[in-house]
Amino acid sequence: MNRIIIGDRIVKTFGEGDEQRNVLNGVSVEINEGEFVSVMGPSGSGKSTLMYALSGIDHVDDGKVLFNGKDLSTVTESELSDLRRTKMGFVFQQPTMLKNLNILDNIILPAMRSNRKNTAKIVAKARTLMKRVGIAELETRDITQVSGGQLQRAGICRALMSSPEILFGDEPTGALNSQSANEIMDIFTEINAEGTAMLLVTHDAKVAARTERILFMRDGQIVNELRLSKYDGLNFDQRIQKVASKMLEIGI
Amino acid sequence: MFFRIIRNDVLKSKVITLTTMIFVAAASMLVSLAAILVVNLSGALDTLMTKAETPHFMQMHSGDIDIARLGAFAEQNPNVDEYQVVEFLGMDGAEIVLGNHSLAGSVQDNGFSIQNEKFDYLLDLNGNIIQVSDGEIYVPVAYMRDNTAKVGDKAVISGEEFVVAGFLRDSTMNSSLSASKRFLVSSNDFAELKNLGSIEYLIEFRLKDFSAIGEFETAYASAGLEANGPTVTYTLFKTMNAVSDGMMIAIILLISALVVAVAFMCIRFTLLAKIEGDTREIGVMKAIGMRIFDIKKIYLVKYASIAAIGSIFGYILSLMFQDVLLENIRLYMGESENSSYANVFGMIGILLVFFAIIVYVNGVLGRFRRISAAEAIRFGASQEKKRSVKGFSLSSNRLFGTNIFLGIKDVLARKKLYATSLAVLVISAFIMIVPQNLYNTISSKNFIQYMGIGNYDLRIQTSEPNKADEIAKTIERDEDVVNYAVMTTKTFKVKSGNGSEENIKVELGDHTAFPIQYAEGRAPSRNDEIALSTINADEMGKKVGDVLTLVIQGKEQNLAITGIYSDVTNGGKTAKAVFADHSANAIWTIVCVALSDESLVASKVSQYSSIFDFAKTSDIDEFVSQTLGSTIDSIEMVSYVSVAIALLIMVLVTLLFMKLLVAKDRYSIAVMKVFGFTNSDITTQYIVRSLFVLFIGITLGTLLANTFGEMLAGMVISSFGATAFHFEVNPLKAYLFSPLLMVCAVLIATIIGTSRAGEIKISEHIKE
Ligand SMILES: Nc1ncnc2c1ncn2[C@@H]1O[C@H](COP(=O)(O)OP(=O)(O)OP(=O)(O)O)[C@@H](O)[C@H]1O
Ligand SMILES: [Mg+2]
Repeated sequence: MNRIIIGDRIVKTFGEGDEQRNVLNGVSVEINEGEFVSVMGPSGSGKSTLMYALSGIDHVDDGKVLFNGKDLSTVTESELSDLRRTKMGFVFQQPTMLKNLNILDNIILPAMRSNRKNTAKIVAKARTLMKRVGIAELETRDITQVSGGQLQRAGICRALMSSPEILFGDEPTGALNSQSANEIMDIFTEINAEGTAMLLVTHDAKVAARTERILFMRDGQIVNELRLSKYDGLNFDQRIQKVASKMLEIGI
Repeated sequence: MFFRIIRNDVLKSKVITLTTMIFVAAASMLVSLAAILVVNLSGALDTLMTKAETPHFMQMHSGDIDIARLGAFAEQNPNVDEYQVVEFLGMDGAEIVLGNHSLAGSVQDNGFSIQNEKFDYLLDLNGNIIQVSDGEIYVPVAYMRDNTAKVGDKAVISGEEFVVAGFLRDSTMNSSLSASKRFLVSSNDFAELKNLGSIEYLIEFRLKDFSAIGEFETAYASAGLEANGPTVTYTLFKTMNAVSDGMMIAIILLISALVVAVAFMCIRFTLLAKIEGDTREIGVMKAIGMRIFDIKKIYLVKYASIAAIGSIFGYILSLMFQDVLLENIRLYMGESENSSYANVFGMIGILLVFFAIIVYVNGVLGRFRRISAAEAIRFGASQEKKRSVKGFSLSSNRLFGTNIFLGIKDVLARKKLYATSLAVLVISAFIMIVPQNLYNTISSKNFIQYMGIGNYDLRIQTSEPNKADEIAKTIERDEDVVNYAVMTTKTFKVKSGNGSEENIKVELGDHTAFPIQYAEGRAPSRNDEIALSTINADEMGKKVGDVLTLVIQGKEQNLAITGIYSDVTNGGKTAKAVFADHSANAIWTIVCVALSDESLVASKVSQYSSIFDFAKTSDIDEFVSQTLGSTIDSIEMVSYVSVAIALLIMVLVTLLFMKLLVAKDRYSIAVMKVFGFTNSDITTQYIVRSLFVLFIGITLGTLLANTFGEMLAGMVISSFGATAFHFEVNPLKAYLFSPLLMVCAVLIATIIGTSRAGEIKISEHIKE
């Protein structure tokens, strides 16, 4: 199985002098093609920081990150941009959208970055995705005119436009009610089944239970790991049970 | 606590605060300078004209004179306070050598006088009435200005040697617009020089009350007294003395008005941006029960501090610069008596600017009232809920690249914000283009047509009309001459409304040969038609189509007024007609000549000068450059300075706006960067925004410059008596170089202003 991402003894430090501390303290992770991974841990344990490090949004202070075998510290800023645009997708807790643009334009924005000749194809793809996540009728709405759940779906469409190899989600369901959260997780599960790898940061055992491997973080280190099978829609309660007891066991 | 909030705010936005302060300082400086100059100019002018006792009415006259009759008239006229006839000994410029400069090339009528006894005194540079000794000569201050002479130089006048003892201020002839210049010598020397030149008389009156001037002029004309030459009154002396500095003041006033506007726009922009960004905080403050006034107070105190510091700097700068600008006034008119309160007026001007800023800030802050606490907390920037522009979407865009689209879209979505920067760019384009067009217009060959002079190459003027035919015959035979016209100026009596008579100088001849610009109407073409100069038409209250009654060969004749034109020659009071007249004596005759090749002008001038030694031959370009030269030079100077000012404004304001925008847009930038936009994508978007706004700005600015600016320039020009003014635009400069300069300035400023935009840490702005 090919590794998409290898994080090798990553160290990330914030602050200066006496204030200085390691937020990531030698974290090593590997994510395989098509794998569905989640990260759990108490607030401030370094989950988001890890995600930014693995996706090349932030530089690491020590150790290295390989994406498809390429060391991200040797890659230029604009190559990183290209990587993020073509190989990675991002979904955040708050919808990160441009206020100026309507829903459809926000979705196609990254794809339009350099690919203007294919506007028709891009728009068609966006419409297909929107239909799939159930927001087809919202395309000309302003971002202030839709609900949080709808906005999050639009964010997912945007992340999927480039058919990324891996999708990063930093608590993508954190701001949603459980009904919406479930629907979003259904979409993620489906996408993963089609072959896109996923890395989700979450607090929610129900979210984690959908994934096949759960990393537990504390104080900048991965302290434990839980492997489940790929989720096939069956035995959900048992999976949650496993996650919950693991959380109890390590005190998260 | 207030102080801490403001200090933190200022520290966070150093560039922005500094730029705003610079504009406030510049605006205050200019306003203060304008006030100081106005006070000084009017004061100095009054002082000069009071000390010199400038005549209220002056009739120049050449030819025979009946002193006894004039004396009797002065005695009997109840309005006359004092009267004198001054001899002015005209001499060819070639006969006057100052140091090693000859005045041969001067188009001025240079001449000699003695110090007057009753009024119209010639003053030294300390403002005292000059007492001149034998062998000394005092030289008009204009020749000091252009470095023709200095004190102690040897002066040779028709072979007689003098020493330049000093320079003189002449309240009637100081201005370069006045055609004559007086040198002062002692009465003994004058007597010796007397038969080396030709005597002209200045018949001068001072009235008991200047308001009776109209009545007096009529009385003078009806009495049929000497009138062979221009007539000038006190008001015109005043205008001529004030015109060149007045123009400078007018331009400074204009620029200061614009810079004040720019300062306001900066404040508006920073405030709007601030409010847009702080909506949530303001909402929260409102929600927790702070009153609007408390919030407003923070901003008011901040801007009051900025304005106060800026004003103080501006005032200091204006005190430093005033000397340079006052130099001319001091030289020509001397120290003003009220210069001590000039500075007070400067300060008043600055206080006005200061309070205007406070009132303005207060007005803009009125928006706080409209921020709803609930909405602000929920949506943040609640002011602009409807931000997307319908029908202009990325998905339907086939025209532009994505970065270009995003740049334009942002401008369209935040019109209010960009309107402010647009206003500044329009103003800058205006400041840049108007003086340039003005310079181009008045330095162009056609401009003299606005001054009552046709477009010919040289003119030969004689006051011996019977020799005009001789000149015409010679010209006729000259193969290098393509066209010529003979114009004879004669004095006629004109009947005014109440039946009294006044003198009017009418130029007779073919006015179609070298047409001039008519403010209204057209040139006279029939015997019963006449055209009037603007000043004449104004004074007589006549319009095109009215009828003027002239006494021609003893008979009253009605002439229809066909046109009104601008004229700067002969005190601006002239008329043009085509009827034949054999009776009245010609005052002078001018033969206007156009040559086949302009390069021949110099040789023809010297050739005709020697053939017609009884006449004055002059090169029109030379004539124009000597009468208008200093004005053209200063306007050229102003046009370069305004280009620099405009570019500076553009660079500073663009920098300011870009810094603000980047600060406001941090979140959007972070979002775009996460999704794969590079730093250069971001920079491109900002450049597009700038250039898009600039493009509209240049277009509007150019339009405005050519309409409103033309009107303003026309007002300046009308101080010369010229009207119906149209810009002559140098398309290369106005439509290519200027826009290019602006684009470069804005481009550079945008790139510098947004250089840090890409350095934004994505994680810090996205992270929950
Ligand atoms: N830019 C920064 N400067 C200084 N410290 C930072 C910075 N970013 C994060 N930290 C610190 O690093 C630690 C880890 O932050 P991180 O955002 O990764 O936590 P997290 O696990 O995602 O928490 P949460 O579940 O609350 O999102 C925190 O203690 C945080 O205070
Ligand atoms: Mg986090």
